[in-house]
Amino acid sequence: MKSLSRTPLKSAKLAALAVFLMLGATATAMAQNPRIQTSQLDGLAAKASETVDVNIDESLMALTTKFLSSKDDDERKVKELVSGLKGIYVKSFEFENEGQYTDADLESIRSQLRNPGWSRIINARSKKDGSIEVYLMHTGTQVSGLAVLATELKEITVINIVGPVDLEKLTQLEGEFGIPELGLQGTAPKRKN
Amino acid sequence: MKKSIGICFAVVTLLGSLSVTQAKGDGFGEVVKFIEQFYHVKHQGIPLLARAGLKTATTVARISGGPRRQIAEAGSVKVAYFDDQDFRSNGSYVGFKSSMNSLLTGWSPLIQAASPKEEAQTYIYLREAGDKFNVMVVTIEPREACVVQVNLSPASLAKLMRNPDEMGNTITVDATTNDNQ
Repeated sequence: MKSLSRTPLKSAKLAALAVFLMLGATATAMAQNPRIQTSQLDGLAAKASETVDVNIDESLMALTTKFLSSKDDDERKVKELVSGLKGIYVKSFEFENEGQYTDADLESIRSQLRNPGWSRIINARSKKDGSIEVYLMHTGTQVSGLAVLATELKEITVINIVGPVDLEKLTQLEGEFGIPELGLQGTAPKRKN
Repeated sequence: MKKSIGICFAVVTLLGSLSVTQAKGDGFGEVVKFIEQFYHVKHQGIPLLARAGLKTATTVARISGGPRRQIAEAGSVKVAYFDDQDFRSNGSYVGFKSSMNSLLTGWSPLIQAASPKEEAQTYIYLREAGDKFNVMVVTIEPREACVVQVNLSPASLAKLMRNPDEMGNTITVDATTNDNQ
């Protein structure tokens, strides 16, 4: 009788453990996701004088890689750069006046970039030019994503590249696929977490 | 953007007559209808058959340095324009964008740009259509707007993807330019 009455309890415990493990695995997977969510910034659009939102997902990246010409030098170079990338996402806001956004607005982005896997490789700040933070996500020994948070007094830009990418590749992609000129050429990593 | 919308009107002048183009259930017609309802405006269409053979766009040629060729597949172009009507949103741009995204399920938003101060908006949506891509470009300015849908080959789309900021203008100009312009 005893064993019979304990069986449902045991099953319930096992089920709870399974759910707990599944939730843990899901949370870890989400924390390790190189795709960052930027929709929390959308509220700033109402105050912005210019907004741009570019979404090039995996299928479009694959298409670009497949159909850019290997014969044309320029296209071949770009094709090599984007080969293997799974997405390029850019969101930017320009404001008419200073003080239209606060650090609290950016926290939704920074909190994701504090998750395991992300490491900050550049943190450059200047009163005149604003700040630029560049983060890389490593999955094992591979880089699986990159994020840039660039802010000026009247401007915010968030760039997220999913896939094998590095700083050199990013600088070469400036001006392509909606990625703005960041002036990263020659920027040495200043701090690493 | 102004140039592209202006070209829409020039095409209509060239054709000498107006008719209503309203595709249903394919996204294009729904977007046109939504704009009409949101801004309380009425669109004018361009008879597409009349356009056949007129178009010789050079945009991809300029990009690729190749021979003159058009981007949009022949016969695939749908254009609706709104002339001299009020598109000032009074700050409702965010709501418009959100509604557009909800309306176009099955389409991927490639680029969404807005300048609320200038009351200007550009949207580009993509959808796979067999071995081609449907591309819809919506441009809105304070007094005029244009909706263009074209079929693009993957190769043309890949070239245009490199500069998504210019893509809307490129496609709109391509879709509404003819030999005489």
